[in-house]
Amino acid sequence: MVSLTIDGKAVSVPKGSTILAAAQQLDIHIPTLCWLQKVSPTGACRVCAVEIEGIDRTMTACNTPVKEGIVVTTQSERLTKTRKQIMELILVNHPLDCPVCDAGGECELQNLTYDLEVNRQEFAAEDVNPPTIDGWPLIQQVPSRCVLCEKCVKVCYEVIGANSLFVNDKGDKAFIDKHLDRCTFCGNCVSVCPTGTMISKPFKFKARPWALRKVPSICTFCPSHCQIDINVQGNEVYRITSDDQGTTNNGNLCIGGFFGYDYINSAQRLTKPLVMDAELGEQVETSWDDALEMVVVEIERLRSESGSEAIAGFASPRLTNEENYLFQKLFRAAIGSNNIDSEARFGALRALKALDKGLQLHGASNLVTAIGKADAVLVFGADPTSEAPAVDWQIQQACRSRDGQLIVANMRSIMLSQFANSQLTYAPGSEIALANGLGRLLVDRGLIDEDYLNQVVENLDELKEQLAAIDLQQVVAATGLELAELEKAADILGQADSVAIVFGADISKSAVGTAKAAAIANLAILSGALRKESGLYPLDEKGNMQGLLDMGVFPEMLPGFQNYPDNKAKFAKAWNCELPDGGLDAEGILQGIEAGKIRFLYLAATNPQSFPNSGRWMKALAQVEVLVVQDILPTAVTKLAKVVLPGSSFAEKAGSVTSLDQRVRSLEQAIRPVGEARQDWDIFAELYGRLTKTPVTISRSGILTEVSGLTSLYGDVCFMGDDRNRPCLKQPYSPGPKSLTWQLVSASDECSGLQLLTGTSRNHFGTTSTWAAAPLEIEPEGLVQINPADAQAVGVKDGDQVKLSSDKGSTVGKVKLTGSVPKGLLFAPHNFTELGIQQLIPDGSNRADVKLAKA
Amino acid sequence: MSKVAFSSWGRQVVDNRQGGDAEVEVAVKKLPTTFGAEKNIAAFMGWDGLILGDPSVDVVAMAAEYARRVQEDYCCAKCSPGKKGTRVMQDTLARIINGQGEERDLDTLENVADLLQNCKCTLCQTSAIPVADTIKHFRNDYLAYIKGERKPGKAVDYKVKLTAPCQDKCPAHIDIPAYIEAIKERRYDESLAVIRESMPLPAVCGRVCPHPCETACRRANVDDSVNIMVLKRTAAEYERQRNLQPPMHSKPKKNKKIAIVGAGPAGLAAAYYLALEGYPCTIYEALPEGFGGGMIAVGIPAYRMPRHILQRDIDIISAMGVEIIYNTRVGKDISLVELKEKFAAVLLAPGAHRSKPMGVEGEDEGYKGFLAGGIDFLREAYMGKPTGMGKKVCVVGGGNTAIDCVRVALREGAEDSILLYRRTRKEMPADVWEVDGADEEGVQFEFLVLPKKIIVDDKRQVTGVECVRMELGEPDDSGRRRPQPVEGSEFIVECDTLIPAIGQDPDLSFITEDTGIEITRWNTVVTKYVPLKNAAGRDLNDVMGNPLSRILLTDMDGVFASGDAEIGPLTVVACVGNGHRAAAVIQRYLEEGEAYLTDDDFHEDLLSHLGVYDKNEEVPWLDAVDRFNQNEIHGAQRASKGNYQEVELGFKDSEAVQEAERCLRCYRVSMIAV
Repeated sequence: MVSLTIDGKAVSVPKGSTILAAAQQLDIHIPTLCWLQKVSPTGACRVCAVEIEGIDRTMTACNTPVKEGIVVTTQSERLTKTRKQIMELILVNHPLDCPVCDAGGECELQNLTYDLEVNRQEFAAEDVNPPTIDGWPLIQQVPSRCVLCEKCVKVCYEVIGANSLFVNDKGDKAFIDKHLDRCTFCGNCVSVCPTGTMISKPFKFKARPWALRKVPSICTFCPSHCQIDINVQGNEVYRITSDDQGTTNNGNLCIGGFFGYDYINSAQRLTKPLVMDAELGEQVETSWDDALEMVVVEIERLRSESGSEAIAGFASPRLTNEENYLFQKLFRAAIGSNNIDSEARFGALRALKALDKGLQLHGASNLVTAIGKADAVLVFGADPTSEAPAVDWQIQQACRSRDGQLIVANMRSIMLSQFANSQLTYAPGSEIALANGLGRLLVDRGLIDEDYLNQVVENLDELKEQLAAIDLQQVVAATGLELAELEKAADILGQADSVAIVFGADISKSAVGTAKAAAIANLAILSGALRKESGLYPLDEKGNMQGLLDMGVFPEMLPGFQNYPDNKAKFAKAWNCELPDGGLDAEGILQGIEAGKIRFLYLAATNPQSFPNSGRWMKALAQVEVLVVQDILPTAVTKLAKVVLPGSSFAEKAGSVTSLDQRVRSLEQAIRPVGEARQDWDIFAELYGRLTKTPVTISRSGILTEVSGLTSLYGDVCFMGDDRNRPCLKQPYSPGPKSLTWQLVSASDECSGLQLLTGTSRNHFGTTSTWAAAPLEIEPEGLVQINPADAQAVGVKDGDQVKLSSDKGSTVGKVKLTGSVPKGLLFAPHNFTELGIQQLIPDGSNRADVKLAKA
Repeated sequence: MSKVAFSSWGRQVVDNRQGGDAEVEVAVKKLPTTFGAEKNIAAFMGWDGLILGDPSVDVVAMAAEYARRVQEDYCCAKCSPGKKGTRVMQDTLARIINGQGEERDLDTLENVADLLQNCKCTLCQTSAIPVADTIKHFRNDYLAYIKGERKPGKAVDYKVKLTAPCQDKCPAHIDIPAYIEAIKERRYDESLAVIRESMPLPAVCGRVCPHPCETACRRANVDDSVNIMVLKRTAAEYERQRNLQPPMHSKPKKNKKIAIVGAGPAGLAAAYYLALEGYPCTIYEALPEGFGGGMIAVGIPAYRMPRHILQRDIDIISAMGVEIIYNTRVGKDISLVELKEKFAAVLLAPGAHRSKPMGVEGEDEGYKGFLAGGIDFLREAYMGKPTGMGKKVCVVGGGNTAIDCVRVALREGAEDSILLYRRTRKEMPADVWEVDGADEEGVQFEFLVLPKKIIVDDKRQVTGVECVRMELGEPDDSGRRRPQPVEGSEFIVECDTLIPAIGQDPDLSFITEDTGIEITRWNTVVTKYVPLKNAAGRDLNDVMGNPLSRILLTDMDGVFASGDAEIGPLTVVACVGNGHRAAAVIQRYLEEGEAYLTDDDFHEDLLSHLGVYDKNEEVPWLDAVDRFNQNEIHGAQRASKGNYQEVELGFKDSEAVQEAERCLRCYRVSMIAV
């Protein structure tokens, strides 16, 4: 600790603290303009100048570290004059357009001018401000309003890692410019701008900041669950903001969170229930009463004709915890069918099964903030920038600000690859070989902590024996990596005190995803990633995937990961009903539809166009006898439905959601559902009542109390008294003594010829954001990424059309030439139903052998 | 500048405008009288004031132009007072020059000059100093403009240059403040790009540079210099450790080809910059493949400069289109005249690889155990050849080569490694940290001893060396006290190996008489230069006694010289700087038919002779953060037999950022009216 005196008051702060931090500890206010806590100090504005005894010049408090015994003065006549005059200089040629400036009312420059009583101007200079920059998508830059604090530059570089913004030109003509090709359109430059320089074009001139009501909520575009404020006027969402202070995301957002909201306001939203008019052959608007009655009648008819096993349903990670709970209860208790599943089947559930079996772990083992403090991070088969941006920011925190080492193991080069100390670009299908190879190297190179492993692993000797049998030459051959690269990665993992392992869609959505996830779980055991300071993080790009899994919306388990057959009786008793035996999963339901055995299908916030082999799904949906679709926007799937029930977006509902790292937090209802649309849980509740012929009054707290009573999982969650969306944690994970059983994983995932990999785009989230104008402006269509060498082989240039075909289907799309995919691998986003790339993918997979031709 | 009309340089005001002939030392000794060969220097304006030679110079117009150039060309805009204040200064001065000024504008200028003292760095801050001096001492000239009594005269030719004390002191003139600033911002790639503009061997000079820059670091005026060298290593290592592709792109290939003799720092640097410009270069290297790098490879042991890292820097240059033909000694395998015929230009950069004789009795006898020289010993040890070394090794000398020899001797398995030096530890020309390193590894030192005679047994095997004790007398030219023998103090140091390491010089036997190339008596190549004299009429020379502004062209048309063979044995960084200039001159020669120096070259040389660093300057700053030194492997074990593992370990990134934060970014602008 270092002791110093500020304005006559003594204070002790940790070594390396700044004078500003020391003053804050004393509640002494030093004015600042360019200082931003979440980035390194810039020292640009100089208004935080203070005096230090014995130093014959002013020093800036924001970036001057404290020294033992110094005597600091923050207020003096000289300082006041200096600060005022510096402000006068800053205000030379600052335009007087405050009344129409977007920052008006929330402008730090305005506030500081007022606070420092800068009420005259003694300086004058020629106005050499460059003209306003209108040419960038989504963001306007007004250089004349800029104070060159560089907050935007710093957040762009240090937090997001985009390195898009920079200071261009010299002297007073200098302005913030942008490498447009590097911009991720995260909007953080707009958020941190202390003036109206960086402007969100979609928000510009729409509303005055003080007229907006800020409703604290959670962004559910991805499982990071950033804490946001929905800015509302009337019944419309005007913008999304996030506070730097008190949020787990430190106020940072991505393109989805910042710009992706306007699907909520889409003119195409489903606003009224629709039913298929058999005579007209088209859907017509109807009342809720008629629509719900039709659903009930059909269920009852089919149940009497074919039994409840003819009825199936899909829930969704777009729904809240309460909604998913109600959905499975509706099916199991009121309809009597356990044929319920979700898109988790094609990914998250595989990771869950592997972690459940190997580690008794049901999600991430630690908070994402632990990633930010890790000494080594292994990103394995994931693209955190696209799948969960807040995880990306944590990784950058660890590896760019805190000397952590980053290993990126991926088939492609991803955004984080540029920061990687070790990039392992492995051959498609070689994940298990890679994980096992790294495991063997950890043991061989003496990098495992045997004492720790003996505590938690039951069969350490077996583990070593099995790993010793791994043939490293085979690993090298399978992965296409050099042994030295593998050794370097093993050294990084093994030498780190704390390790974070992040894996994602490339692992869990693979056809043998469970085995791959198990292999990574083994690596997590070996490298100590399950220890207190470390973490294992399965990623799934969908917002409330963890909540969906927690609520047991799949036939094998009841809420709280309770095995269905064993715990059926307990739930039947609580719910006062009979629970059915068996239950079909997604594949079973699909086969059931094709065989005519499933006659009723309920799709809640589910669009099978993004399922693997989507062509087969769409064919099946067309032949199901009664298709009920509950969604918010019209799609090819809603068009097939006998009944369409308009649900709500996250801004229109209240409920809880669970982040990828087990934080349970609530959505606040910011606006009323559009038109006659209803909150999804409300729809399920009413159907439950109608089907069970009992009047139900369902409240959020009622559902959660019920969940708490039936599962240990949410037992300690405090949902109430949550004044600012404070995170509530589920029980933290730590493996018990000798609780882990090592089992070597082997599974084959062979491929031949040109491979097509599908995954999420960085600019889009599921298919919902393709209804939002802003992300669409940045990425209007799905492009097929191809290595220039492969493009040359078929004679296509950037932007040319190609025909892609597999044994499941084919599609035509434009190509984007990029070195980020290696030769022999194509990548395409599954977010665009127009591209329909999922038609080519085999059932339950994310990769296909394809043929490519110029179209 | 023969006579000074006015000077405020160094905050000392000398005013001869009303008569008098008080002298200004800087003007008499340091500044040349001409800028280049012909143009007389009329006035010099910079961070420390104004020196006015020609009283007819319009000081107000000069200040206005100075302010304009600072604001428009150099101000980084990264702090408010600098960005806005220098604009106000520029515009106010312009208004005065245009006849629209008012007297209170002079108050504004003084006020702004005051506010600029709050700047983030010293660029705009120091720019206020000469401007304020002109207001104070040339007020009447300002008032003449303000009252409309004066109009701007004809345009004056101003030469302007941005510099910094460290950058000026660095023989390669790397933009040190810029690369440190980039590390502060964790932009390691940008930092490396800045370094590469003047230093194509960043991994090397991040490790083994004697870093003269750090002797000109203003932070030392506060507490201790910034660890400039290791920050360079940080930037270089970021790229290497992440296997990132170097971003350089050479211009389209040109037709004229250049031959370079020697793949050492000068040859590699010249090849790098010529290749960037699109010139195909072929380097002829006498040593076999794998031993490129010249003295860096064969003179600096691997525990200081790991070979694979040196090789990466060489490979990067090769990948830019530079061909290196190994195992080819010019003068033996191909003659210089042949090269001249085959190539449009030839650069001679053979280095200085021949050991100097020691002058000890018996050194010509071919005794077993008496080795040819330190540099030969290092080369053979490195190349894995038999060195002829025994178990008890004496090395004679006090420079870095001598230190390298005693430290390598330990790694080659010597049981005793003894350094004999005729002065004391304090006078050793070797870098202090190298001497300390040897000490830590168990090297024994014998100071104030002079070897006189080699002692051998009947098999002509060295068994010892007879030495005489020395004592320090009066200081010599170099300022070091001259050692003198103490009569009757002879004694014998037992050893089986004696290695003289008292210096080396170039082997220029390949430069045959028919080339007409003149060679100095110090065995360096004579190159053409622009003669510069100071006001006292003395020639201006560099630290090695060479003419200050050399064109690097030899007496043979199209043949240039660079590196140790041109400068005299010096440092990697000096050779790189010299090679960089050679590349620029060769390019001018090939494109314009004339080898010449530019205004920028003259300005650079002028500033380095003037010196930008002032060790007596009071620098007000809070000394809150001590200099951070790199991590290092400690203990004698690091020098065990066969252990050539790197001893110094560099910085972690966050340590580098912390160290970079200590930099005061001492930019300043120099302007000369000619």
